[in-house]
Amino acid sequence: MELEIKREKIVLRAGTQKFEWHIEPRYWRNPFIYIGILLLATVLVYFFSPQTLPTLVDANLLAAIAIPLGWMTVGTGRMNFGPQFYIGAGGYAAALCSIHLGWPPAVTLLVTLVVGLMFGLLMSPLSIIAGGLYYTLLTLLFPLVFLEITFIYTDIFKGDTGLSGISPFLSGGSYTTNQLMICLLSLFIMLLYMFIVDKIMRSKFSASLAAINDDEEVAEAMGVNVKKIKVISFAIPAMMIAVIGWFYAHYYTTFSGISYLPLTFMLKVLMVSMIGGRVQIYGNVVGGYFIAFLELFLISVVGDMATVLFPVILLVLLLSLPEGLFGLYRKRRYREYLPTLHVRR
Amino acid sequence: MPEILRVNGVSKHFGGLMAVNDVSFTINAGETLGLMGPNGAGKTTLVNLITGKYIADSGDIQFMGHDITKMAPYKRCKLGISRTYQIPRPFPELTALMSVAVSALYGKDRVNQGLEDAATEATHYLEFCGLFSKRNVLGKDLTLYELRGLELARALATTPKVIFVDEVMAGLNPGEAMKAVRLLERAKEEFGVTILWIEHVMAALMKAAQRVVVLHYGKKIAEGPPQDIANDPYVIECYLGSCHA
Repeated sequence: MELEIKREKIVLRAGTQKFEWHIEPRYWRNPFIYIGILLLATVLVYFFSPQTLPTLVDANLLAAIAIPLGWMTVGTGRMNFGPQFYIGAGGYAAALCSIHLGWPPAVTLLVTLVVGLMFGLLMSPLSIIAGGLYYTLLTLLFPLVFLEITFIYTDIFKGDTGLSGISPFLSGGSYTTNQLMICLLSLFIMLLYMFIVDKIMRSKFSASLAAINDDEEVAEAMGVNVKKIKVISFAIPAMMIAVIGWFYAHYYTTFSGISYLPLTFMLKVLMVSMIGGRVQIYGNVVGGYFIAFLELFLISVVGDMATVLFPVILLVLLLSLPEGLFGLYRKRRYREYLPTLHVRR
Repeated sequence: MPEILRVNGVSKHFGGLMAVNDVSFTINAGETLGLMGPNGAGKTTLVNLITGKYIADSGDIQFMGHDITKMAPYKRCKLGISRTYQIPRPFPELTALMSVAVSALYGKDRVNQGLEDAATEATHYLEFCGLFSKRNVLGKDLTLYELRGLELARALATTPKVIFVDEVMAGLNPGEAMKAVRLLERAKEEFGVTILWIEHVMAALMKAAQRVVVLHYGKKIAEGPPQDIANDPYVIECYLGSCHA
């Protein structure tokens, strides 16, 4: 193994493989600005409108679901309509371990990671076997089947009342300070996901993802091990989404499938992806915040009708903005998976 | 010339249709082998069997001493088998540069190759195919002639030993077709690749190929030097009808 530190990048050579990490400070400017804005917004909300902190948590978590979902979409070349299945799996795993075994959040997180990865690996062959509409329908179906199971085995999952008595992230102390800490934790998870997925999308691994997304048969003919990459791109994002279920369970100290598994929750995630632009990592953050505050606004104005308005808004977005709101910003540029290289002759 | 690929009694059927029926032939290193036959003769299916899209029902395929009959397509590519498509299949959302870089990254295993190294190597193949100025254009925005060039650049970037070229002249005007043929000839000279060339245009094969294999209804009906094939009465009958034979 050989480590080479250059002015603009760190190069790690292990065996016959080479890994590069750009560290040139000019690449850090924009991420620092974005992180600064998000942190500043959280602190401002804490001081001026602490009751809005839960909305920020929602926004961060919606973005944190949409970001790995974007990776899954590109890497499998298919749109998964059931990310909430993994939220349910992660949430129930954390809740059951916390209630029955008294495990703290740090330990249940490990259980959630294992459960999420296990379910991801179990379901990943779907992305190889099924394609197009069949894949979409199957992924749509799994959360609904899981929901039915929670109703059938009410002794375990407690049906629509859900599991309660889950240990919270923070006990004691001021409510608003705890909310701030939890909000910062959700922001940290979202930023961590963004960092991981962004790094993947700029690595040589992303070239294979992009090729699979465009034409998996040609990608395989050009030497890409499509099955392996699909399994990785399915299982790891599934694990990342399951962590959000763990967060919901410990944040609300109750967890019921009826809150997350139905289509209404999936619609919100889908709208985040639509507004952010399909497979736009930074756009998902914009989408997450937009949807969280739109929901807050709609509920305060139209009440329960908000659930009816959401699909209508989604339909309008699908027809009018196929590249999402964030796509308007990038309208004049190609949808790039990789930075464009300019080579001088 | 040493033998590089051996196809031995390969058959493939789809339901009741026998697409390829007990076909055997060999390809020698450095030669250009023409594969011809009327529409529906099974030429593309045969290429799909060799490149791994389909698995043969019977028979075996040997490539440089490896039995590749049931090998996954990506493993065949890493061994040195590459192809182009009859109807170009670019990566529509990838730039020409990145399309070729994918092949450079994942084709034959290279030591210590990062994305930037692959992109640099890809520029060489794009330059060779006359597409350097189009390097930042998306696959979906290229013209048919440019797509043919991109397919060849992509295939060459995997550093193949054999390239299967599927009707490179289809849909091109005579000028473009001749440029495409010259490009193939140059590729053979500069990269030392062996070519299996599917083509309908007999004149092109007469000039470029050392041997020609003819398929009809999935069966091999003739094999030999292009001049002999052009004068073979059965081949003429299959192409033009019995009155011309």
